[in-house]
Amino acid sequence: MAFRKVCKFCERNVERLDYKDADTLGRLITDRGKILPRRATGTCARHQRQLGTAIKRARYLALIPYIQGYHS
Amino acid sequence: MRDYEVVYIFKSSLTTEEIEGRLEAYHGKILAAEGSEITAVDHWGKRQLAYPIDRNDNGYYVVTQFTASPGVLPDFERVLKLDDDLLRHLVVISEGEMPMPVMDQRGRDDDDNGNRRRGRDDSDDDAAEEADGAADDAGDDTADEADDADNDADDAADNDADEGDDAADQADDTDDDADEDDDVDAKRED
Repeated sequence: MAFRKVCKFCERNVERLDYKDADTLGRLITDRGKILPRRATGTCARHQRQLGTAIKRARYLALIPYIQGYHS
Repeated sequence: MRDYEVVYIFKSSLTTEEIEGRLEAYHGKILAAEGSEITAVDHWGKRQLAYPIDRNDNGYYVVTQFTASPGVLPDFERVLKLDDDLLRHLVVISEGEMPMPVMDQRGRDDDDNGNRRRGRDDSDDDAAEEADGAADDAGDDTADEADDADNDADDAADNDADEGDDAADQADDTDDDADEDDDVDAKRED
């Protein structure tokens, strides 16, 4: 796992993580749809908190799945 | 007055007119209160859902931004809940415009934290704080440059010293050579 010094959102001066941005959020969940931990992504604490909220909102709006690859 | 954002997901079987009609009815609830305003309506259009909702695989997404007093929300949301053709809706406090002016990294974090704790409505405060941040940053930068200059001076001094050493070393080397020659001479004499 590559060592990342700076959070990728801080690098891009992201003020607020947008729950509507499904492409970005989709990259920060596992292939099963779980939220990736900070140690895997290098996200800073502030942005990880925002990320949690954003992902949960996006799930509710069916932009990203709650569980990926599961078909009942 | 607060800025809100609402996302609607309609059944994709609805026609555009039906959707427009519903939006008008919902927004009428907001605009019924004085001072309310619809700032933006963005139609994303038909989109595949990440998971089926009530056996629907697609939904028609609409994002609306509006300004209203919190009092109108219960009435507004009640209408949304009663509509069976609206698969999902989400009302959140709008968190401002996405792109912010790029500022120096160090001052920024402090500003952000301060702003967030204080609440979102006092825009005057925000502006003042940002100005403070900018001023601080400028000060920091000049200090840094001064530091850099010092470092340069140090480096130059180091280099000079090194060169001096080199010269001394070379002198030693020549001495050594001379000694060796002496040795050879001595051997011959033997």
